[in-house]
Amino acid sequence: MKNAIAIAKKELNIYFATPIAYVMFTLFVVIGSYFFLRLLGAYEQASLQFMRFNQPEAANRLNFQDVIFRNLFGNLGVILVFIIPFLTMRLVAEEKRQKTIELLYTTPVTPSQIVWGKYLASLVILTCALLLTVTYPALVQLVAKDANGVEWRSVGLGYLGLFLMGAAYMAIGLFISSLTESQVVAALITFVVLLMTWIIGWSSSESEGWMREFVTYLAAVSHLDSFGKGTLDLKDVVYFLSIITLGLFATNRAVESHRWS
Amino acid sequence: MIEVSHLVKSYRDLKAVNDVSFKVEKGEILGFLGPNGAGKTTTMRMITGVLPPTSGSVKVAGFDVFEKAMEVKRRIGYLPETPPVYTDMTVRAYLRFVAEIKGVRRKQRQGEVDRVAVTTNCDKFIQRVIGNLSKGQRQRVGLAQALLNDPEVLILDEPTVGLDPAQIIEVRELIKSLAGKHTIILSTHILPEVVATCQRVLMLASGRVVADDTLKGLQKTHAGAATADGGMGPAPSLEEIFLKLTSA
Repeated sequence: MKNAIAIAKKELNIYFATPIAYVMFTLFVVIGSYFFLRLLGAYEQASLQFMRFNQPEAANRLNFQDVIFRNLFGNLGVILVFIIPFLTMRLVAEEKRQKTIELLYTTPVTPSQIVWGKYLASLVILTCALLLTVTYPALVQLVAKDANGVEWRSVGLGYLGLFLMGAAYMAIGLFISSLTESQVVAALITFVVLLMTWIIGWSSSESEGWMREFVTYLAAVSHLDSFGKGTLDLKDVVYFLSIITLGLFATNRAVESHRWS
Repeated sequence: MIEVSHLVKSYRDLKAVNDVSFKVEKGEILGFLGPNGAGKTTTMRMITGVLPPTSGSVKVAGFDVFEKAMEVKRRIGYLPETPPVYTDMTVRAYLRFVAEIKGVRRKQRQGEVDRVAVTTNCDKFIQRVIGNLSKGQRQRVGLAQALLNDPEVLILDEPTVGLDPAQIIEVRELIKSLAGKHTIILSTHILPEVVATCQRVLMLASGRVVADDTLKGLQKTHAGAATADGGMGPAPSLEEIFLKLTSA
């Protein structure tokens, strides 16, 4: 554990010594803010319309969670698909290319400590990125004094969903980074794989029966949305946790086997 | 201290290292010689456990490199061909990280980092980012890293590459001063370096050991052949011996 933390600290040192983390945070927040403003505008328009046509019932049903945050979490999830490949591409590939992996192999560190250290660092980066977006619900809370306000429990669950999905994506990216020496190849393949976890959901409407359920289960978007609705379902947690476990296990194997090649 | 027996590494049909056996006693400095592609680096990588051998075994301090890998890693300091440095970190952060994963306790870490930085003359640029350093400076950071936690065994793959003449002399003196307490395997192309620092010479050519002797012993064996009248000829230089053995 001590070694894993040492490696995590080293990774974070490099993340923040290079522009990569800052660039990705900026992209995340800029695109995220754009989506947030669009959703805020939609909410505003809907509530104006209900007032103009005097529909207090509909206006009462209008809430931040359904109109803004559920969609916002979906949108932030899409942005994660684009930025996570760039956050994980370096993790193992660069160690192999610069031959620094030999240093790790000749010091008393086990492959699983290497994997855990790197994964821990990527989770810290993910948490930082997500914390930056807490400004959105905080802003809404600030201006929405007279309305019902923000349902923080549901927002919290949405963040848990985003975190789990990001963590699963990080595990996939880490694994793919451990398969190659090239950061570009790692980023590209990771991007394609992450994109697949989204677009596979589109085909669910074309299939029927068990196939439809199966495809829906495979798609990350349906699980994230379940959190966005403010529900905590075991099946969604299991979905993300199993991807994480599989990713870390495979990375461990790849790091272990690298020296045998 | 180091026991290498019948070590073989083959890549398909190519035998990079072919049945290499030798021993290094505690406190000895072994000069590892051979032309490019003779298998020096491959052998060193197998001794440190980076590369698994096709067959044969390596024991360091009585521990098998593959069965008791952790015990071996705790005792080895390794400077690979390319210094394993993170170009985005400062020298100090890098050395602290290596000290940490080598198990130097938190309280001693600062002192240990300062000690190796001073012995390898890295203290002047310890605050700088490694990516901005010259090749020789990086090489010294690599050497500093190998010395951290004072390992019993040092495996140095061409430690003086990229250094200027004054620094080469310094590193040579440093390696000499480590003898006795540390067991060192030193690979190099610079033959005078071996004469200046090593007690024993191991010569490889196309994956095989062609000589394993002290310098004096080598000169004795190869002097006889040098004269026609049967008497002892002039002692040949290491260069002559090297060319003779490796050209065969």
